[in-house]
Amino acid sequence: MSIGGIEGIPGVGGFTPFAPPTVPATPSAPAVGDAPSVGGVGRAGGPDFGELVLDGLDRLDGVQRTADQLSVQAATGELQNIHDYTIAATQAAVTTQVTVAVRNKAVEAFTEIMRMQV
Amino acid sequence: MSAFESLRIAGSGLGMHQTWLDALSHNIANIGTVRSTAEDAFQAQLVVAESREDGGVRVREIALSSAEGRMTYQPDHPLADEAGYVRLPDTEMSDQMAELIMAQRGFQASAQVTKFAQDTYQTAIGIGQR
Repeated sequence: MSIGGIEGIPGVGGFTPFAPPTVPATPSAPAVGDAPSVGGVGRAGGPDFGELVLDGLDRLDGVQRTADQLSVQAATGELQNIHDYTIAATQAAVTTQVTVAVRNKAVEAFTEIMRMQV
Repeated sequence: MSAFESLRIAGSGLGMHQTWLDALSHNIANIGTVRSTAEDAFQAQLVVAESREDGGVRVREIALSSAEGRMTYQPDHPLADEAGYVRLPDTEMSDQMAELIMAQRGFQASAQVTKFAQDTYQTAIGIGQR
């Protein structure tokens, strides 16, 4: 006995298997940006967030290295000016805080998205 | 790094005032340095500052005061010439002390600018934080 209501959906031919939506790999992400007409929001033409964070970490490493070198100079008595060290240390501290703040923002955004009801 | 311009500029101010303080310390230490009339008197260091194109200040040169000095009659001084004269530096202690205060105040002002710059950066970091 066949159930006509299920088999006979006209023009479809029954159930089609579920095809999960394909997400393009990260390098080809401009697929989103290729359609700026959707909502009018395109991808900003700049480095992506990961590059931004990596760049920031590189810079942070350099600044901290400078401060470390100056602190060694202070300890060994080679430091010419005290304020050279204190300014380098301040730069290192502020750069660290900026990097941590950016990281926190990213984590916050991620958590916010994960909390989204679907 | 352009984000730390105010820190860098304040740092250049600290550096210039540090040089000025060093020069004044040198001048005051040598305020009583006596030379014979056959040689130059002690020449005080005069720091010449100039502004930088990219912001801040730098020491253009360290000029020297007159080599002639002040001829003083001190016949019992071991360096005195036949007429009994020696050369003393052409600098006044009171001038040097007044400049010392100016240099110190300038250094403190630049240090205060670094403090304010740091506060400003903290404010910028704090934007959007709950």
